Amino acid sequence: MTDQSEAIAHILLRQQIEEFLYHEAELLDERRYEDWLALLADDVRYWMPMRRNVKFGELEREYTREGQDINWFDEGKETLMRRVQQILTGVHWAEEPLSRLCHMVSNVQLLHVWPSVAEPAEVTVKCRFLIYRNRVETETDLLVGKREDVLRRVNGQWKIGQRKIVLDQNVLLVKNLTFFF
Amino acid sequence: MSEVINLRLLEPGTKISLSDGSIAEVVSNPLDGVWVFARYLSSPSDAALVGTEEMIFAQDIVEILETP
Amino acid sequence: MAKAGTQGYTPGLVDLATGQISREIFVNETIYQQELEQVFARAWLFVGHESQILKPGDFFVSGMGEESVLLCRDREGEIHVFLNSCRHRGMKVCRYDEGNTQVFTCPYHGWSYATDGKLVGVPFFKEAYHGTLDRSKWGLVEVAQLCRYKGTIWATWDASAPPFLEYLGDFTCYLDLSLDAWDGREGGTEVLGGIQKWLIPCNWKFPAENFSGDSYHNISHRSVDMVGIGPSGRGRRDMQERLMARRLQICFPERGHQTGVYVLPHDRPTAPAYRDSPVVSEYFRHCEEARRQRRGEWGRVTGSPGEIFPNTALHPRQPRTIAVWHPRGPHQTEVWRWYMVDTDAPPEVKDFLRQYYIRYSGPGGLTEQDDMENWNYAHAASRGTIARRYPYSYEQGMGYEVQDFTWEGLHLPGVVMDITEAKSSEHNLRNLYRRWAEFMEAKSWAALATWRRPARATRRNGQRIRG
Repeated sequence: MTDQSEAIAHILLRQQIEEFLYHEAELLDERRYEDWLALLADDVRYWMPMRRNVKFGELEREYTREGQDINWFDEGKETLMRRVQQILTGVHWAEEPLSRLCHMVSNVQLLHVWPSVAEPAEVTVKCRFLIYRNRVETETDLLVGKREDVLRRVNGQWKIGQRKIVLDQNVLLVKNLTFFF
Repeated sequence: MSEVINLRLLEPGTKISLSDGSIAEVVSNPLDGVWVFARYLSSPSDAALVGTEEMIFAQDIVEILETP
Repeated sequence: MAKAGTQGYTPGLVDLATGQISREIFVNETIYQQELEQVFARAWLFVGHESQILKPGDFFVSGMGEESVLLCRDREGEIHVFLNSCRHRGMKVCRYDEGNTQVFTCPYHGWSYATDGKLVGVPFFKEAYHGTLDRSKWGLVEVAQLCRYKGTIWATWDASAPPFLEYLGDFTCYLDLSLDAWDGREGGTEVLGGIQKWLIPCNWKFPAENFSGDSYHNISHRSVDMVGIGPSGRGRRDMQERLMARRLQICFPERGHQTGVYVLPHDRPTAPAYRDSPVVSEYFRHCEEARRQRRGEWGRVTGSPGEIFPNTALHPRQPRTIAVWHPRGPHQTEVWRWYMVDTDAPPEVKDFLRQYYIRYSGPGGLTEQDDMENWNYAHAASRGTIARRYPYSYEQGMGYEVQDFTWEGLHLPGVVMDITEAKSSEHNLRNLYRRWAEFMEAKSWAALATWRRPARATRRNGQRIRG
């Protein structure tokens, strides 16, 4: 591949990944939770560390550790399904009535593409999110942060294999996390 | 004009000169940027300080004489 | 029903004769300010766990009431709790969540404190203070009393408060249900890394009464029971023992602590649990056998949610967690949650429990989310001018308590409501508010420590106790 065609292929791949992420946001905002679950690999890891205020020079202790500490989320496909099922019972009072959600995705960067841009099988993607939630009458929450995803190509479709959600908060400023990042 | 020192960077063994003319050696650093623990090596104003370990305040440090 | 309006606390807002409590106590700004003095400045509060500060210099920033405190271990290994505020001009001397340090230094004027609270660094002490500042008078403000109990650390600002174990009284054996190892050895717990902290839009007393023993609100959790996140794959927790156990609500009127428990019949073994994991279910089986052996008849007792007055919530098992409801104004609470496991448990057990805890409790917890939604809107509704004129009903099960409860040879300390057939009672909630009213009215601990008086009353605020 020439430099220019490589660059073009990269742009097209990034566009494809962005489309995927926008489609995912659309599913969540439209409450198409079962369709959203179908975007997740069967062995998906979905986790969100908590964040500490730590001394300069000790930043390795800023995040709670995956698989070892208490986190805000530490989910597989099974538990994510349960969360969806709970919303769909219609009697999960924290989501009944349903929240109004808007997921905004930006700053999409392809950090790593394997094995090649021409025929990608796995992509590591980083992006920023802004999730707006409005609930019942005047409850409003704004959550901002980053997502680090590993997307895998499965039967010609992208699937989310891993998602690490990095929320830019210490004390959580929302009363619950009934929605998906 | 001497540079403003970031105390966080002073490692044990560093020799520093102080505003009263003393020379001290850093023993430990709490990394707060405000204090270091240092042992007096010489003190023209108070000989009794020599050999003692004290907390040295950032604004009392004039310059770094020798790094370890 | 007495109306408080903007006047603050008056006797009668909690009316135990009728089982009615005014909405004012949740929303009134003056009452809230009074609580900070009458309750939080005088009671014993949970601060943290020893496993968070294992080494000299280790610290964890915690809270007591509204205030930030430093829980730390000094160079000699002694544990302290200090107000996180420089004595000079108030700046926080530590704005990190946790770590290890030689000193706590204030960034405003540079005053520096050792981990035993002593003021050790004063800039320009010889020059600006002419060597005359008495540093021994200006150390960090330390709590009046501190107690370590089976790893947990408690503190009070009030020197006249009874020692912690006396404050607990006979409730201690129920606190042990959270703190003793699964195999019945005393103590032996550790806290998992990561303390959950989050804000909820309600008065702290809504969650406090819920954990005191709200046995009535299972309907809140119907959705999580339907989807099944329990450790045996069904419901939200293992429930089998309940099919054969007596279900009790137990409270201590003179202390304000209460809990639920289950008591198994004399000769029935504990049912299997944690069946989703062979490793965990076998560990549980093995531990439970040892626990029943070690504890004899008392081994028939297992814990369910409870509350140590005023704002420490216990959930002894499934999940095993301690929460503190920090007051943040009348309309807001900051919840801090600690999750615990046996120190000696195998890694697979700790990991299984860790993941269960995350999906059960906290803001991401499928169970706790619905509690918080109810507290949020119950509180909001309590604020209305008209709504405030109408008290809440806390009369469920009034008059059916038993002072001296024994079942199949096992005596349970405390005043007991057997709700096995009744299904529910608000006995424990009334007890929380009984004690709350006493704290709001009492001028001193002499008035609060009624158990120290030689003659005991059998009527308390008009509540008849049937023996």
